Amino acid sequence: MAEAEILNLPQRNLLGRVKTFINAELVHILAAILFLLLAIFLLYPIVAVLIKSIKGPEGWTLAYYLKFFVKGYYFRSLINTLLLGVINTVVCLIVGFCMAYLSTRGPMALRKPLKLLTLLPLIAPPYLFAISLIILFGRNGVLTNALGLNWSIYGFSGVVIAQTLAFIPLAYLMIENTLMSLNPNLEESAYDLGASEIKIIRTITIPLLAPGILKAGLLVFVMTIAEFGNAAILGGRTPFLAPDTYQMIIGEADFEMGSVLSVILIIPCIVIFFLHNYLLTGKKFTTIGGKPVASEPRKITPLVKVPFFIISGIAALVITVSFGVVLVASFTQLLGVKNEIVLSHILNFDSNRAIYNSIKVSLIAAFIGAIIGILLSYVIVRGKFFGRSFIEMVSLSGFALPGTVIGIGYLLAFNTPPIKLTGGIMILALNCVFRFLAVGVEAGISKLHQINIEIEEASADLGANFMTTFYKIVLPIMFPAFIAGFIYTFMTAIVSLSAVVFLVSPGYELAAVKIFDAAAYGEIGFASATTMKLVLIVILCMIGLNFLSKRSRFQATQKGVSKNV
Amino acid sequence: MKGKLSLAVFIAILSVAFMMNDAQAQNVRAYMGLSPENNVKVVNFVKEKTGISILQTFQSFGEIEAKVKSEAPNFNADMVSGCGSPLAFMAKKNGWSVPYDSPAWRGVSGEFLDKDKAWFNISNFSFVLVGNRDKLKEKGYAMPKSWKELLDPKWKDQIVMPSPLSSGTANMIRFAFLALYGEDEGWKYLQALDKNIHHYTRSGNAPTDLVGRGEFLLGITSDENVKDRLNKGFPLLWTVPEEGIGYDGTFVFILKGTAMADACKKVIDVMGTLEFSKLMAGIGYVTPRPAPNALYGDVTPKYIKLDLGYAADMRPKWNDIWKEKFRTEFK
Repeated sequence: MAEAEILNLPQRNLLGRVKTFINAELVHILAAILFLLLAIFLLYPIVAVLIKSIKGPEGWTLAYYLKFFVKGYYFRSLINTLLLGVINTVVCLIVGFCMAYLSTRGPMALRKPLKLLTLLPLIAPPYLFAISLIILFGRNGVLTNALGLNWSIYGFSGVVIAQTLAFIPLAYLMIENTLMSLNPNLEESAYDLGASEIKIIRTITIPLLAPGILKAGLLVFVMTIAEFGNAAILGGRTPFLAPDTYQMIIGEADFEMGSVLSVILIIPCIVIFFLHNYLLTGKKFTTIGGKPVASEPRKITPLVKVPFFIISGIAALVITVSFGVVLVASFTQLLGVKNEIVLSHILNFDSNRAIYNSIKVSLIAAFIGAIIGILLSYVIVRGKFFGRSFIEMVSLSGFALPGTVIGIGYLLAFNTPPIKLTGGIMILALNCVFRFLAVGVEAGISKLHQINIEIEEASADLGANFMTTFYKIVLPIMFPAFIAGFIYTFMTAIVSLSAVVFLVSPGYELAAVKIFDAAAYGEIGFASATTMKLVLIVILCMIGLNFLSKRSRFQATQKGVSKNV
Repeated sequence: MKGKLSLAVFIAILSVAFMMNDAQAQNVRAYMGLSPENNVKVVNFVKEKTGISILQTFQSFGEIEAKVKSEAPNFNADMVSGCGSPLAFMAKKNGWSVPYDSPAWRGVSGEFLDKDKAWFNISNFSFVLVGNRDKLKEKGYAMPKSWKELLDPKWKDQIVMPSPLSSGTANMIRFAFLALYGEDEGWKYLQALDKNIHHYTRSGNAPTDLVGRGEFLLGITSDENVKDRLNKGFPLLWTVPEEGIGYDGTFVFILKGTAMADACKKVIDVMGTLEFSKLMAGIGYVTPRPAPNALYGDVTPKYIKLDLGYAADMRPKWNDIWKEKFRTEFK
């Protein structure tokens, strides 16, 4: 009797019925909306690129692909790109691992400085290294002259070095994250039982790290072959796919050939993405019990210590020097040629609007991205409907999509009505939202796996409707995921160049694009000064965000404690 | 409840950001292809005289051409305030530009003002040969006096010039050599020159800075920034080789479909004044209204005879030949 009454209660009128329906089906409604968004802003642009590559002015054709494979130039470009990607990924992973190992397992005094130093390049545009390499090792560079070097940085080796330096932090960050979440007890027990350090690393640490390393590798590879700033500035006559694509679209409006190059660029990324997914299925390691704690520093054998220190030391030194050079360059008339200290670069405020736009775009992107991220992860974990894993795959695929391709896709897809977004600010934000969505989604998924669905069910049983449950239970638990998505999107969006370079328009220029233009153009002082301003602002923003998230976490723990008591 | 505060703060930040969305009262969005610093000089001048802000992103002439072509007919800008002759002629032919009979431009010669008033040429610029004084001295090389001398193998990998695919300067360099030597011989010259070129830069002014910094010995470059870099103390030598130099205009026109046509017209009016010509001539440009030129002084440099209309028509074909010759095969 009581049961029937409860069931009947909400069905008294139509409005009530609609409410019940919405309440019951909210997950599905949400899923449909999110899928629509993903389809419009992630799948459609890619499809637009695909179509453009096989459709010329005279209809469907494979002529453009034929051209690609017949001309030696393009083939060379492909080989260079893949080679760059592979070398870079391997080097970044090795250096990243060494640094991450030292900063989580090494001497306490080293940990914090090493971490801060390694993360520094993350907040600067990746082609900062091209600028500093030219100043140091250019044909008339400071070190070239001082040491009488005869090495040309304009070419493959220059690009590899600049790209490696630019993406070490990314590799480091991802490996460090995984290392932090590993319970060091396992390693410590092995150590106590007498295993050597090398044996522990080989048989425990690296196998447990495999998923993290794999993911870092994927990300570094994709970013390396897509981010073209360094290659465009240092490449000389060595062709690479990403800068060639840029040249074709921006310089010649050759959209067909540009699309072909994009599709070619996407193929290795997709292959690696699926390989990565395949390798990871069923390989989720769970470390035994307890909360992860910071590892106590233990004696590391010199056999491990020395090479790790050397590798990390060199990387740290080069990163510091690169930043130092750019800092000095922003206060010098022309570093290495005319070493007068001037303030004219720093006081040149032409880039103000661009910096302001960059912050605005990144904040909008981060906010929308973080919200969509947690909603998506909720739908993926809690939803039970057909196509759930497809949504998951699409939302995580942003990892594997080169920025240049997304940029061109947006240009092709949103240049004409019905959805005309070019020439505005939202197109700049939206492409960042969907490119960097994966981090927020992943963080959300892992958070949701930690809480039992029973808590939500209990809330529902006690009469709370879906919105209340979501707001009072799910949202607070997922807040760290929101912050993670927010910070990652903000940081990546503000310095990323490869997609937005196609989408800026008069009045909506961005700092990253402005710096790239200035650097490609040869105005090193202005480029350096703008970079420094941007870095400073990003640091301030990060401190602010950190403060905010710490505060909210602090409040949460306080409340949790008082409740438990 | 946790995070509510932070959420509120985020929303607050965002809404402030949105509200500060530029009181865009008198803003004109423009594609503007002078060198970045000269863009700024023009923008400041226009702002001072009319109160109108020109919002611009720096792009090379070739890039502006690509942009306008790919956006037509839904342009994301109100006007083009600096592009090469190919785009200006193409825009007139395709009806992308809005003609305007500006009273301020009366009495300007046909080289600088279209007879149908579809475009306005605010300044002519040229290309010159630049060298790094210190580095040349170190090597014991003299500054070349003619373009032919650049084919000497001793310059291998020591010369930079812009790419005609992205740069208007390079487009001008190419059609000047084709006009000077005739098309067959011209291409042969460019191919021979290619053997000594280290790489082709994206922007027409980049060689000035690269040579000025001593990265390369010689550069074929736009004359726009040469005077400024000399003033800044770069060890630059520059010369007009004996065969002469080419030239192109810096064309301005209103894009069809703009909502800011009146503001654009005001901008164009200001550009027709003697004062504006003086500003441009002070940078080193040759201007619609005669003014003392900062770079060339009283001497009129020797110009190669050019047919800009023919060159504009031939540009796509010449681009294809260029790609075929210089890009298709990797060396």
